[in-house]
Amino acid sequence: MSERSGRRKSRGRDAKHADRKRNQMEVAAFIDRKIPYFDYLSTESLELIEHNADTVLEEIGIDFRDDPEALSLLKDAGADVEGERVRFPRGMCRSIIQASAPKEFTQFARNTERNVIIGGDRTVLVPSYGSPFVRDLDGGRRYATINDFENFVKLAYMAPGLHHSGGTICEPVDLPVNKRHFDMIYSHIKYSDKPFMGSVTHPDRAQDTVDMAKLVFGDEFVENNCVCISLINANSPMTFDATMLGAAKVYARHNQATMISPFILAGAMSPVTVAGTATQILAEALAGMAFVQIVKPGAPVVFGTFASAISMQSGAPTFGTPEPSMVMYAVGALARRLGVPFRSGGGLTASKVPDAQAAYESANTLQAAAMSGVNFMLHTAGWLEGGLSMSYEKFIMDCDQANMLAVLLKGADMSENGQAMDALREIGPGSHFLGSAHTQANFKTAFYRSTVADNNSFEQWQADGELDCAQRANAQWKQMLNDYVAPELDPAIDEALLEFISKRKGSFPDKEY
Amino acid sequence: MLDNVGDHNEMGEEEEDIILSELPNDELVLQMHDDLYDGLKEDVVEGTTILLERGWSAEKVLSEALVGGMTIVGIDFRDGILFVPEVLLAANAMKGGMSILQPLLAETGAKPVGTMVIGTVKGDIHDIGKNLVGMMMEGAGFVVIDIGINNSVEDYLAALEKYQPDILGMSALLTTTMPYMKVVVNALVEHGLRDKYIVMVGGAPLNEEFADAVGADAYCRDAAEASTTAIRMVAEKRLACA
Repeated sequence: MSERSGRRKSRGRDAKHADRKRNQMEVAAFIDRKIPYFDYLSTESLELIEHNADTVLEEIGIDFRDDPEALSLLKDAGADVEGERVRFPRGMCRSIIQASAPKEFTQFARNTERNVIIGGDRTVLVPSYGSPFVRDLDGGRRYATINDFENFVKLAYMAPGLHHSGGTICEPVDLPVNKRHFDMIYSHIKYSDKPFMGSVTHPDRAQDTVDMAKLVFGDEFVENNCVCISLINANSPMTFDATMLGAAKVYARHNQATMISPFILAGAMSPVTVAGTATQILAEALAGMAFVQIVKPGAPVVFGTFASAISMQSGAPTFGTPEPSMVMYAVGALARRLGVPFRSGGGLTASKVPDAQAAYESANTLQAAAMSGVNFMLHTAGWLEGGLSMSYEKFIMDCDQANMLAVLLKGADMSENGQAMDALREIGPGSHFLGSAHTQANFKTAFYRSTVADNNSFEQWQADGELDCAQRANAQWKQMLNDYVAPELDPAIDEALLEFISKRKGSFPDKEY
Repeated sequence: MLDNVGDHNEMGEEEEDIILSELPNDELVLQMHDDLYDGLKEDVVEGTTILLERGWSAEKVLSEALVGGMTIVGIDFRDGILFVPEVLLAANAMKGGMSILQPLLAETGAKPVGTMVIGTVKGDIHDIGKNLVGMMMEGAGFVVIDIGINNSVEDYLAALEKYQPDILGMSALLTTTMPYMKVVVNALVEHGLRDKYIVMVGGAPLNEEFADAVGADAYCRDAAEASTTAIRMVAEKRLACA
């Protein structure tokens, strides 16, 4: 080196500070799973559940309420319709689904680098959905507003571990019920460039979602590609209602994805056992997904499952307990056997605040969801209080967990570098690896670094103000909102969206239903 | 693509070639701070040589270019900006410069920043933490004599006699071995040596209260804290003795 005429300038402190501030996460559009699935139930057990689900469909049947069109479509397809009760011959739903439903599909984002593939070995992590309340350390628990909604869209946009903007991240109760969907969809488009979910609370609102998507992606593109995915809940036990069916039909007819999701609080809305609950979930999902394929063969459908249990003392939903995880493992395997993408999981908890209960319960559900092969993980970040509250601090804590799931699912590096034989040879007994060439080459990315954990000495932690995890998260979301920069949106599209919204909002009166 | 891999210019900035010998003194010192920070041993050695050639005293090179640079490294290690392997590289670069300065300092009779004997106490063979402290101390310009693990009172006394350091450092990881520190301090008192040395203790199960109870001068929570405390205490002691 002494003979050099010149050399590169060392970068020094400022450059290192900039490096360390930048996100350490490998930014990916979705997780590509490289590890095997965890078989919780034997093949015989899964076959037995499939047989029993067909028995439910054939013998008991499913109610399709207040939707004569749905009943006539199902009848024409070969179902036995008696009033609103629909019974399906053994194997009918499965063969309809397997004939036309895609095993996996791409949901397009307005930034194509954010397109997600839903299904197969992929996992897409999505913010929480549906809370009427928000909570933060400063303001406590309060009804959510459109301002909170925008904040969470911005935070999800900035979170490298979240792949999707989600849907009703929180319910903006300050806006009229029949018009708030415009503002929610607009927020997803304007403040994020990740893919988003559509409105399902009325078929007209589903149509508005599609129409707004067309302003962004173009008419023809929307008719031929999935640009939004929407949550269609079964009204368990064994019932679909007109609202959900109406929205499902609109989306299917425009080739947009739906997630048919039995919403189960086991013990109340399904039997108390794992096998009984899995059987009912499979029967409901088969009926719903077959219905979507009847409406529009080939429209993307996802096998959804929201599984929780209830406290037999109070009837309140419980989370993070073992039984719903068992259900999730079982249903994940059933979805793979059927050959459709699977939605479940999330960072679920009944805790009211981001405390130890929240962390334990959420970690239990997130890990189980990752291992069970969830393809679309709604409720990954923010969930508190059984979904009643969306927490700013919990959101930040869950994003840290989300980042870790990506690492976990990537599997172990078995390359020559991963084997590290050179490091073992270099160091040998009795020394340490901190200075080895292998460590020097790999240390920056070798271990996931938590964004919220404090690993310092007691004295350092004390000197830093004795903050707990939620307090550290509090500073982080504020910093993120402060640093937020909106993704570029073509001004012509923005104008068209605002004009559409203003015209539609003006064409009918505000209503609170 | 991982964001923070690679030391040089993944930001895509213009590369900038520089020649150390063409830099004026003030810029060269700042450049050496950056070189130390990035653990570039050969560049630190080159910078040290250039400053000496320009007539700087070894003491001035040590305090302004090297110790000044390592102080920044210590601060950023404490604050979680620099990682352990990076500090190791920086300390190694510092040692490169010191290897040139040390003979010159000895010739002029100038005192080094300080000297330390460090070792893990009897019954304890854990030494990663002690090694980190030794590394940071060297990085701060100290001469460190590491007497290893499992040291008895006699081992410590012999090393103190032989090397006449400013500081005795003792470490322990086990709650069952940490009381031995008091045995060592008591032995120093018995031999009339206690006031001759600064006694620093450290290790995961220790705290300030424990250090006071065994009669040590300081407890430091981590390696960065140990080096800054050591610099301060040696300076205070020299001032008191002057």
